[in-house]
Amino acid sequence: MPGLIGICSFGEGSEKWNVLRFTYYAMLALQNRGQEAFSIAWVDKATGSLRKVEASGNVEELLPLIDGSSGHVAIGMTSPLVSDHIVEVDGDVRVAVAMDGKTLDHRDRREACKAIGEELSSGSPLHESMLRVATKYRVGYSFLVLTEKGEVGCGRSAVGLKPLTIGSIGFDLGCVASESSALDVIGATYSSIVGAGEIITMTPLTLKRDRVIGATEEPCTFEFVYLARHDSVVFQEDVYRVREEVGKCLARGDEVDCDVVIGVPETSYPIALSYGATRRRAVKLGFVRSGDHIRSALKGSQLERLIGLQLKLNPVPSVVDGKNVVLIDDSIVRGNTLKNVISLLRRKGAVGVHVRIGSPQIVKTCPYGTEIPPRDELIAGNLRLEDIKKVIGCDSIEFLRLEDLERLISKDNVRPCTGCFGGRYAGDVKVD
Amino acid sequence: MIKVLGIGGGAREHSLAEKVAQSAHHPKIYWISEWRNPGIYEICRSTGGEYIIGSTTDPLFVSKRSKTLGVDLVIIGPEEPNFYGVADAVRDAGIPCLGPYRDVAVIEQSKAALRRLQWKYDIPGRLLFRTFRDVRSAKEALNEASKSLTWLQNVVLKPARQAGGKGVKVIEDKQAYLLNEKLTFKMSHIEWLSDYMSGYEDIQDRVLAEECVWGPEYTLHCFTDGKTVVGMPLVQDNKHAFDFDIGPETGGMGSISGPGMALDFITREEYERSLEIVRSVIRAIQDETGKDYIGVAAGQMMVTEIEGPTLIEMYSRLGDPEALNVLAVLKTDILDLAFAICEGRLSKVGVDFEKNAVVVKAVAPEGYPDRKDLAKGHEVLVDRDEVLKRGCKLYWGAAHLEDGRIVTTGSRFVELVAKERSVERAAELVNGCLGLPRLKGWRTLYRVDIGTRELNERRTELAEKVRRLYKFRESRGLLGSRLDWVPGMGLIDPALEVKKYEVDRT
Ligand SMILES: Nc1ncnc2c1ncn2[C@@H]1O[C@H](COP(=O)(O)OP(=O)(O)OP(=O)(O)O)[C@@H](O)[C@H]1O
Repeated sequence: MPGLIGICSFGEGSEKWNVLRFTYYAMLALQNRGQEAFSIAWVDKATGSLRKVEASGNVEELLPLIDGSSGHVAIGMTSPLVSDHIVEVDGDVRVAVAMDGKTLDHRDRREACKAIGEELSSGSPLHESMLRVATKYRVGYSFLVLTEKGEVGCGRSAVGLKPLTIGSIGFDLGCVASESSALDVIGATYSSIVGAGEIITMTPLTLKRDRVIGATEEPCTFEFVYLARHDSVVFQEDVYRVREEVGKCLARGDEVDCDVVIGVPETSYPIALSYGATRRRAVKLGFVRSGDHIRSALKGSQLERLIGLQLKLNPVPSVVDGKNVVLIDDSIVRGNTLKNVISLLRRKGAVGVHVRIGSPQIVKTCPYGTEIPPRDELIAGNLRLEDIKKVIGCDSIEFLRLEDLERLISKDNVRPCTGCFGGRYAGDVKVD
Repeated sequence: MIKVLGIGGGAREHSLAEKVAQSAHHPKIYWISEWRNPGIYEICRSTGGEYIIGSTTDPLFVSKRSKTLGVDLVIIGPEEPNFYGVADAVRDAGIPCLGPYRDVAVIEQSKAALRRLQWKYDIPGRLLFRTFRDVRSAKEALNEASKSLTWLQNVVLKPARQAGGKGVKVIEDKQAYLLNEKLTFKMSHIEWLSDYMSGYEDIQDRVLAEECVWGPEYTLHCFTDGKTVVGMPLVQDNKHAFDFDIGPETGGMGSISGPGMALDFITREEYERSLEIVRSVIRAIQDETGKDYIGVAAGQMMVTEIEGPTLIEMYSRLGDPEALNVLAVLKTDILDLAFAICEGRLSKVGVDFEKNAVVVKAVAPEGYPDRKDLAKGHEVLVDRDEVLKRGCKLYWGAAHLEDGRIVTTGSRFVELVAKERSVERAAELVNGCLGLPRLKGWRTLYRVDIGTRELNERRTELAEKVRRLYKFRESRGLLGSRLDWVPGMGLIDPALEVKKYEVDRT
């Protein structure tokens, strides 16, 4: 689920652009897709060769590392995994490959990038090589490639699972990014999504596009539930709108006692707001956060997650004291967050805590590299609803129904991937 | 028998020639162009006329030839002959000419002159602008704007003269954190422009800096004899070289029109306002020069949040590819129309258009638009019968016929046209033919997305957003007004600044 950004400058005078900061700010905008590692590759103006900078930690640390450098084409990647970086391969042509998601054929993203990089660095025309790659590995990823010749390629696997959008800045720059909000942040105009199985190659003189035969849109529903920013458009869907619909689904027919609705920051805000509006109940800001925006579900160790969480969520006393609280969260992975939050709420005086989750129960892992823990670490994959309730200490708990989620995202020719929620996996693969 | 001489060798002229050939007057057709356009060549031959390879911008050459050939009418296709006074010379020789005098063609030749005219005569739909005669003053002003954050920060930099659809850079500069990147680019582009413009001796201004606006674009072509101005169906051209509206500025990769007079995303009211703007420009340039405007004048327009219909630039001729849209639906006999215009009785003829939608797409050699050296000299192979069979027509553009072979001259070599009930259906037909024109040993460039539902919907969305904004301004009486507040300097009306620097000074 890394964040991807690629920028190519076009036409006469394209070398006058320095796109490194554009890339950096887009990466900053894509931190929701990973805050543990960042990497950037560009064709260096001074040397004419491919350069790469990578590090673990927050993207903000990138700026001093590229200070003084210049390039007119670049790709960047943010990742939730330490040492998950853009992979360079030195074949006949030197290339750098970034990926969101994963192929089924390789153990991890790094291996997948390496395999793809080897095919793309063979010296045969990039566009045709990319088509070959996408025909060979049909499922589970979006990717970007930069060659030392200054070509920028991108594509989505034939089974279109991970997002990718494309846009432009004036007559000069073409930009591809995981989410449209990253385009907004660098002042690019959003044009379209990159379609499932679509391969696009940009050079200063050309833009070529082709599509792998038999491609299908099978978007990752976890993008809507949790991953994407709610100011983004992904897969041609407005993320905020989907989350609002989720809130309505949860509210419909729900008659549980409710004095106040609060959302766990921040992904669940649109869900909580529309849940409250549908039930005509007050929605309040229940928590104050310390420190930066931390996405606790994806943090590495148990302790780190807990630290992240506790800093993130200090309840506001008057909002919950003496109240029946409906607490909205986007998903439950291990249940730690909720358990902790609920006990904090109770200590501040909440009378009842009713948990409503904006996604179905996560019962299986993701074979396409979304960092969902293995099955034995998933609370909903192991416990019955009654037991979950006891463990996290709530009065009641309801999940979004799988049918509702599927209905919200399905359209003509769009069949979402709901594998981790116990539904069908993209590409119809079987996972235990 | 009537004899007609046409000037220019692109797809626009091929389509003009065909239209002339279809006239009820059955004219003999003669043509002058720098290269041998295969389509026009064929038309000249079949009507018993002649195709002459020669300069299209040499007034003396054209007027002499017109006389020796004894033609009854000259039709000028492209803009450059207008800037060199070809129409003047032809009319001096006593021959009717569909093409404007050099003095009035200045509305296209000098973007700076057009802007000044608009501000001097208070013609609506105008943009803030500044002109610069040297690199230093341009750099200073733009540097200063980046510090004071005035309108001049957010600019489009253009060559001050019409310069073959090149050199326009839209530099929206709204992210403070990318200010340095944009400023560096502005500085280097100013130098580029100045070098580029040093090739033109006919104008003093070098660099034009214009307020950057956003909104849907469209072209309104008009026939005029100087007294009457008749609007044609709106056309939308697409300037970006590549799909997704990405990539360098071209002369236009494809255009859509219809069904009917307006486009789906432009209202009838906006059409009328645009027409009034073009009329006012024609009136103003006639007042300035004392000459009648005879021929075609077109407004390249954008609906903007500031003022609604706004003039981006003027054409002194039909656009290319837009010409193919309007000519495809023109019902009136083009020669009747041309003579009426030349004789000042346009108000007496009815000008009629079919309701159909038209889609035109250009096919260019890879390398276009920035590397003509790579784009030219490739042999063209195309199955024209197959194009017809698939419901399209083919017009030859930058393609030269020599010894039975057709080779590219560096630009858009073919334009494909389909006429249908809806834009989407016409686009489907054209898309079915885009792969047919091929180049021996070289690749072609074209856009698939123009006219598709996805792109049309995006245009509509954009138009609706902008419309809401300008309508809001209108309801508050704020249409066209702008205000800046600079700490320490107070309220500033940039329009007054434009008037002071650009109108009063000259
Ligand atoms: N003030 C502006 N704000 C935003 N975009 C602009 C502005 N002026 C021009 N553009 C964009 O740049 C394009 C080309 O500008 P313009 O028509 O002035 O140049 P040109 O090179 O003379 O074009 P043409 O080939 O049509 O003669 C326009 O179609 C429009 O998309």
